[in-house]
Amino acid sequence: MKKKQGKDYWRSLEQIADTPQFREFLHREFPEHAWELDNSISRRNFISIMSASLALAGLTGCRRPVDKIVPYVAPPEELVPGQPFHYATSMPFGVGGYGLVVETHEGRPTKIEGNRLHPSTRGASSAITQASLLGLYDPDRSHKPLYRGVEKEWAEFVAFWHDLYPRYLQKKGEGLAIIAESTSSPTFFRLYEEFRKNFPEADFVVYEAVSDEKIYKGIKLATGQTLQPLYHFDRAKVILSLDADFLLTESGNIAATRKFAQSRRIQSENDSMNRLYVVEGVFSLTGAMADHRLRLPSSQVVHFAIALAGELQTLGLSLNISDLPDSIAADIDKKWLNVLARDLLASAPNSLLIAGRRQPPEVHALVAAINHAIGATGITVDYARPDGLIYPDSDAFASLSRKIESGSVTSVIILGGNPVYNSCADIDVKTVLGKVEHSVHLSPYIDETSQLTEWHLPQSHFLESWGDVRSLDGTLGIIQPMIEPLYDSHSSLEMMSLLVTGRDRRGYDIVRYYWQDILKGTDYEKEWRKILHDGLKESSAYPLMIPQIDHYALTESLKNLPQQEGAITAENLEIVFTVSPSLFDGRFANNGWLQELPDSMTKLCWDNAALLSFNTADALRVRNGDMVQINFRGHRLELPVWVMPGQADNTVSVSLGYGREKAGHVGTGVGFNSYRIRHSSSPDFGIGAIIQKTGGTYLLATTQDHQSMEGRPVVREASLEEYRREPDFAEKMVEHPPLVSIYTEHKYDEGYQWGMTIDLNICTGCNACTIACQSENNIPIVGKEQVHRGREMHWIRNDRYFIGDTDNPEVVHQPVACQHCENAPCEQVCPVAATSHDREGLNVMTYNRCIGTRYCSNNCPYKVRRFNFFNYTGKMAETLKMAQNPDVTVRSRGVMEKCTFCVQRISRARITAKKENRTIRDGEVITACQQGCPADAIVFGNINDPESRVSQIKKQNRNYALLAELNTQPRNTYLAKVRNPHPELENYKPLGS
Amino acid sequence: MNTTAKDTKSLDNPGTPLITGNQSFHSVTEKISGIVEAKVSPYWYLAITISSLLALVFFGSIGYLVWEGIGIWGVNVPVGWGFAIINFVFWVGIGHAGTLISAILFLMRQRWRTSINRFAEAMTLFAITCALIFPGIHVGRIWAAYWMFPVPNQMGMWPNFRSPLLWDVFAVSTYFTASLLFWYTGLIPDFATLRDRAKTKWKRLIMGILALGWRGGNRQWKHYELAYLILAGISTPLVLSVHSVVSTDFAVSLVPGWHTTIFPPYFVAGAIFSGFAMVMTLGILARKIFGLEDFITVNHLDKMSKIMLVTGMMVGYAYMMEFFIAWYSGNEYELFTFLNRAFGPYAWAYWTMITCNVLVPQLFWFKKVRNSIGALFVISILINIGMWFERFVIVVTSLSRDFLPANWDYYSPTFWDIATFVGSFGLFLTLFLLFVRFVPIISMAEVKGVLPQADPHHTAKEQAKG
Repeated sequence: MKKKQGKDYWRSLEQIADTPQFREFLHREFPEHAWELDNSISRRNFISIMSASLALAGLTGCRRPVDKIVPYVAPPEELVPGQPFHYATSMPFGVGGYGLVVETHEGRPTKIEGNRLHPSTRGASSAITQASLLGLYDPDRSHKPLYRGVEKEWAEFVAFWHDLYPRYLQKKGEGLAIIAESTSSPTFFRLYEEFRKNFPEADFVVYEAVSDEKIYKGIKLATGQTLQPLYHFDRAKVILSLDADFLLTESGNIAATRKFAQSRRIQSENDSMNRLYVVEGVFSLTGAMADHRLRLPSSQVVHFAIALAGELQTLGLSLNISDLPDSIAADIDKKWLNVLARDLLASAPNSLLIAGRRQPPEVHALVAAINHAIGATGITVDYARPDGLIYPDSDAFASLSRKIESGSVTSVIILGGNPVYNSCADIDVKTVLGKVEHSVHLSPYIDETSQLTEWHLPQSHFLESWGDVRSLDGTLGIIQPMIEPLYDSHSSLEMMSLLVTGRDRRGYDIVRYYWQDILKGTDYEKEWRKILHDGLKESSAYPLMIPQIDHYALTESLKNLPQQEGAITAENLEIVFTVSPSLFDGRFANNGWLQELPDSMTKLCWDNAALLSFNTADALRVRNGDMVQINFRGHRLELPVWVMPGQADNTVSVSLGYGREKAGHVGTGVGFNSYRIRHSSSPDFGIGAIIQKTGGTYLLATTQDHQSMEGRPVVREASLEEYRREPDFAEKMVEHPPLVSIYTEHKYDEGYQWGMTIDLNICTGCNACTIACQSENNIPIVGKEQVHRGREMHWIRNDRYFIGDTDNPEVVHQPVACQHCENAPCEQVCPVAATSHDREGLNVMTYNRCIGTRYCSNNCPYKVRRFNFFNYTGKMAETLKMAQNPDVTVRSRGVMEKCTFCVQRISRARITAKKENRTIRDGEVITACQQGCPADAIVFGNINDPESRVSQIKKQNRNYALLAELNTQPRNTYLAKVRNPHPELENYKPLGS
Repeated sequence: MNTTAKDTKSLDNPGTPLITGNQSFHSVTEKISGIVEAKVSPYWYLAITISSLLALVFFGSIGYLVWEGIGIWGVNVPVGWGFAIINFVFWVGIGHAGTLISAILFLMRQRWRTSINRFAEAMTLFAITCALIFPGIHVGRIWAAYWMFPVPNQMGMWPNFRSPLLWDVFAVSTYFTASLLFWYTGLIPDFATLRDRAKTKWKRLIMGILALGWRGGNRQWKHYELAYLILAGISTPLVLSVHSVVSTDFAVSLVPGWHTTIFPPYFVAGAIFSGFAMVMTLGILARKIFGLEDFITVNHLDKMSKIMLVTGMMVGYAYMMEFFIAWYSGNEYELFTFLNRAFGPYAWAYWTMITCNVLVPQLFWFKKVRNSIGALFVISILINIGMWFERFVIVVTSLSRDFLPANWDYYSPTFWDIATFVGSFGLFLTLFLLFVRFVPIISMAEVKGVLPQADPHHTAKEQAKG
């Protein structure tokens, strides 16, 4: 088996840097306690985190009683028991939202999918949108309003407000303050306007721990207006991302991935693909997709942007910025910069610059100006003037807290959010809340903030409330409930309506009332029904516009850039606060699916850590799992270290969203609260962090212990040029003898033969497939301790490998599910024939025949089989049982499970086809992972039909089967990855890497 | 047996008597029956207390396992098999010596076997008992483990005859059955002796039933010896087959480090190696405790040492051959697995194995070592440790790092893994202690057959002349 690889694959991280420290590190790679005698499994411990709080199972009596057994006396129209309904709705998120379609079984939403009609998703989804379903059924959600910790009725709160309402009305709202979350709901905005009218003296402040505030500020700086940028990655040939993780953690990531994949997808060696340059300090998912990645501390990105502007001007681009300040970052690689600048100009106007939300407004302004100058505006980036958005404003939040402290506020009403937890360390919301007479918190959980407020009111989940939302491009979407509220909860619209009008109205009536305005001039009922059906109002996006650049303001702001606080060294580190791709700002902390979802880059789950580069860890003499204390601007936090190759040297990044003190049974105490060292003077990154080793160690659970491919042809990759030279490089990477069997094998040439392809070239590794699969197939979560033991249950996992040097490696992702081998090694060794092949080529598991010898797993070369080591589903809370897909068996202890190619979806399609007396059409069966994939990298279908999409793709020359040399004949194949480096930068190592 | 005797002395080592101490038929009966009939020593009580407590740990661990699930062990994905399978192979291996000594050495007319065959066979049975428990409990749903047997059922399902685990079920249960019959057949004349010497009614009754009406008549002896010979013939291939089949659990899979054709002979050699080591350990203890120096002589130990030297070198050869083939095949996964065994995270286990199984037995080249009871005792225990680690290395290192590096993980046992393993020794020793208490640990009938009196002749010298 001779290998032919173009790339220099690592033997492993440590071996490549063969120093004694790394050798020691190598030992540490394997958990230190080889012969640990005890096991801290303590069942009790494990149960307490399992499946989102088993302990609460006993409390289910508090839930409103549901009579399930009694059949419908008058069944709803069209309802056939066992047949799911699909309803369109939207998930609000920041100043945008995602258009979704929700599958409901007998009135229970069980699965979230993207809405094909909606531009924000186009049928795809993300890990967070998928997992939000679990939040609905979370048994830790608060059930009843609380007044100083005592359960009350909603009516009592209404009475309480009726008492206050006239008084504040009289005072024009003086002394009243509302802290809300940002929203793009038109109805909410109308209510907001009424609120302003009724209470002109009141404070209305919007706080978000993570938001696009700086982007809007930057664009305002450049154009004088608050505009929403809309990126068209599909039209871009060259993309430069300045610290923007637009494929995963930035706003609009689903649409961005979809569009990015469009211009990245290739079918043959003759196609062209986009080229992605990324400049960033923290290795992001977008950085992993980059063709060229420049490692630069986040605080230096602004200097890079200025240097780029200068380079572009030198190359003849007219930016109209006089006196560009000299870039003070000396170590920006000149050649890299020059090639990038020329590349941007060469493909202009199909070039695109994008900056991340962490970057200061000046960077966004400069990026807008450059995009404008190269003609990209209107081609690869559009601007829309949003209408009726409630933007976050952290300055207003800070000044409100000062105002409250001064004592001039008597009542604070917090609509959603959790400011006690997620405000910056220098704003002490805890004390502030003590200063007011009345405080009210609307929140789905009794969280850190609710604990301190006078009133806590349960907030409805978006799947159980009425509402509306505009997505980033302005498309009006509707939020319709899938189920009656499980608890005595209310939506923020209902709450706002009560606050503004004093009337306790139902969400449905509120939305209907304000939509009369929106649908003015149409047949209201007809239009309303259509909107409910589609989930959105057609052509309701904001009008696009091309703004003028205010070069003077931009020049001025660039001149007045704040001075850098000293050089970045190991003693004076740059600290970066990153948003968690799973928990976001911490709001999903009690979501077990997201907690157990390994981070795409670090592969850590159930924790966050201080990420350091190899060199920095070396300089600080720390290793994976060492506890350190970070001291930043007088605030301290202890947390463990994780060494992350590709991180900029002398920077430390910590993820927000962890370390919740009161999240629920799943999220409380998981990870470390980095808000404690987040300072409002530099909420995203800042220089001056000091790291000290405390001497302790901490166990971090990772789903992948080994980071290198060991030179094995697992993920096969070539540059575009290599691919053109050798179109079948992927197949050629492995030489093997003819694959023959001594038996006459079954032919599998009749009927449907299911197969799948995964295009590694456009797969970003975003984990949407993993959660989609988890939701569809009732996959349990197992908790940190079990993950550490190597017992995670994900049916489709995302393998991540590093390639190249430890400082500036490339990263590849590979989703691996059951490969459905025609010649399956697992089947032969099962003593009870519990796993076998069906005639459509599926490798199927018979759960109730399985006795759990685990031999199949041992013999599976892909190790995709998952074993129920404990009864992971046994003590599931009653509410969580409602989240299960009734079409899929819930597995018990002691049986093996694995990907089934969503056999329940195949069956459903087969039944439908049979009823209509036809064969299953291509594309009729969509597996959950395929449906979730925002890049459309997964294609499933009948490989026996030469016209099917999957057959067509399997004919492509990049197609290869993983470990084909074992003659397993997998039905799942991969399309090799192709990178598109600039010819002048191929294999070029930029300065500082 | 006495009818086949040609020489009063060992044929393969003339000049060294098989039984020393100038024993007569009567003294042999007295000595060996005496062990069973004598007042129970307090040491025996102490020993059985400890061992049965350990056995309790064993059954307690199994109880907890059934209650909670396989998760109490350290197994994971990718290492789906851990201590349970290691222990299974280990105990099956131990169980090899008994039948080998009884059957193969019997067919080869190795008359020195008579002193050790009884307790070696007993050891085999107890080891197989321990071994059989592990595959039963290592499955995820223990209550459904019987589905591995081809029992007619309402599901209309046969087990999967292509699965090596199923072959195991047949191989090991057949071996156990054959060994049990063989052992019991050998015991019949001795049970009759005990019956005849019994002083209490109950003992006479029980031993009478067990002796199956044995009277020691000529015709009975004729049939008995034929039956014994046939059973030996049946058992002989089983000795070779059982561990060959066990090895196919690994060899038939495609895991690098398991997928090798050398496994069957290599496993059989290893099993004999470990089985003899265990016989040696127990034999040395028995001769010391019960004063059987005349029956289990240094000569016997010397012979066993030589067998261990040979089988140890076979095992060492297999280790080398695996490496050679891994390199010679050019298969990168195979080569990696073996390098990983020797230099990877489990190198400590690998080198323990090499030391105990290959280096330590080299001491057997020295007669001084072979004749030193203390040295033999220590070495025999080391060999058993080494052979346990051999199975650990095979099972764990291969699985922990197979094809896709993303799957690699480290396996470490939990408290329950170790408790179950240690507890299985409790069960083994308890059964063995009960055996030494109630059953003659040396075959009286057969030992008498190798005494000079059994073959009344002139001295060998005279015979040679004549």
